[in-house]
Amino acid sequence: MLHRLESLESCTYDRMDMTVLERQAARFKWQQQNYVVQNNNPVELCASSVPQFQGLVGSNLGSGQMVELKRLEVFLGTDNFQEFMNFPVTGPEFGDSEKLDLLPPEAAADYCISRTSSCQMTALDTAVMKEEREDMILEKMESTIGSGRGSFNKRKAETVADHKSKDKKIKGEGESEVKTKCSTEISRNSSKENSKASEVQKPDYIHVRARRGQATDSHSLAERARREKLSKKMKCLQDLVPGCNKITGKAGMLDEIINYVQSLQRQVEFLSMKIAALNSSVENLPMKEFPAYVANFPAAAKLPEMAGLPCFQLNPLQKESVNCMLNETMHPPQTEGIASASVSISEQSLSSSSMTQLQPFSTWSWNMDPQDTVPGNGIISTLQEGIQYQMPLFTFLQDIFQ
Amino acid sequence: MNKYNPPRMNPSSLRSRFATRFLRTLSKINAQKPTSSSSPTEIFRRYRRIKAAADKSMAYSVRSRRTWSRAMLWKLRTRPCGRRSVKTSTIIKSREARKTRHEKQNKNTTTTTTTTTGEDGVVFGVEADELRELVPGGEAMDLYNLLDETAHYIKCLTTQVQVMKKIADFYSP
Repeated sequence: MLHRLESLESCTYDRMDMTVLERQAARFKWQQQNYVVQNNNPVELCASSVPQFQGLVGSNLGSGQMVELKRLEVFLGTDNFQEFMNFPVTGPEFGDSEKLDLLPPEAAADYCISRTSSCQMTALDTAVMKEEREDMILEKMESTIGSGRGSFNKRKAETVADHKSKDKKIKGEGESEVKTKCSTEISRNSSKENSKASEVQKPDYIHVRARRGQATDSHSLAERARREKLSKKMKCLQDLVPGCNKITGKAGMLDEIINYVQSLQRQVEFLSMKIAALNSSVENLPMKEFPAYVANFPAAAKLPEMAGLPCFQLNPLQKESVNCMLNETMHPPQTEGIASASVSISEQSLSSSSMTQLQPFSTWSWNMDPQDTVPGNGIISTLQEGIQYQMPLFTFLQDIFQ
Repeated sequence: MNKYNPPRMNPSSLRSRFATRFLRTLSKINAQKPTSSSSPTEIFRRYRRIKAAADKSMAYSVRSRRTWSRAMLWKLRTRPCGRRSVKTSTIIKSREARKTRHEKQNKNTTTTTTTTTGEDGVVFGVEADELRELVPGGEAMDLYNLLDETAHYIKCLTTQVQVMKKIADFYSP
């Protein structure tokens, strides 16, 4: 393909003695011939892309892109850009103008080279021209025109030629037109570009966005995807851990998370210690009300797993009953006796989470009767009162638990 | 009396599952030692049992859906207890040996993964190790899964703390 371009150059230069017009006509003819074969042989696209480019310039270059091109001018220096700008101007006048500089042929050849490379790519040819200059320049074009760099490299593996990719093809051709010899600017300028992302289309792969100015090989993309996953996770953790909104940075966040987990674990230890200490002092006082509550609480029957809860629904009632007991001058030994009796009952009631309502209650009341009538009555009365209080107590405890 | 429909607690929520299990275990512990003296050693023993019960009930509530719960259950099961016979202790020792070997292998693989994952492994090197120590079963996990497990572990720990706080409040005079 290169040799074809060289032949073009040579043919043009050999006919230096020809008139300019004849030269133009010969070139035009040659281009037209190549234009015919465009669709068949992507290699021949080099000259055919000229009219394409003209079309591109005419149709696709909106104001925005013109702005991009102007920016390009800033980066590239004006000379080549001027040529570039002049080229379409002279394009339509190709057959007409008598003047033709020598420079445009060179430029044309250069453009042809770049175009072929871009066309090769856009024609989804995996055999990529790996001229370093072109790659860099193409990438630069990409960055300036606005499509991501990743799209260019990824396009090599593309097999789908849908509308979007077509647009990018045309864009790529347009980009390639603005060819520069300053490759060093590319790396510098790419970092300054806006972070406009372009979508990479892969038929079988996960769609990944490659931002502008970032490497696009598979490893770095995978790395970036992983990093984004991690940052998402860190955000979730930030919501969980209180007071993490101000902290930015992963290391600080992790420290905060570690502190929080440690504090929670210490809290659990402290609370279990507290419960152990309280249990030893309170002994089995709550146990007393277990059977009564289990007996009297119809809701517990419906939710067997809530059987454990009734023991703590007793607490307000327990306090009430304790007060009643104290009022009735019941001394501790008696309560202990009751406690020991109730332990077995509580065991039964707890093991059987289903309702054996009356039985424990009756045994309870039976246990109570021999002790003392008045306190027993007091307790039973409070328990009977407790029956009425079941639902509100349950809700009260629900609220507390929630 | 006015009856109103109380907002029903979700019986299958983590909180209710943990609460019921823990309360059951707690009552068992209380029942087993009705005449508990308030000596510090006794209290300490009760504390240990209660803490183990809390952890166990939390792990059972999660039901080995999570790596940390599985690791915690395993740890609790193979925890050296005074009542165990010699035979079982040898079994436990062999299991522990196998586990440490497995963990070592996992550690090797995880260290290799963390070193090969580039900057993330380098950045989170020290903190990730600390986190791994805190979260049960965290030794054999890469960073992403570790963060996942940490999030769930934090959620379960907060539930545990809330329930135990309420229980302690109830028990307090």
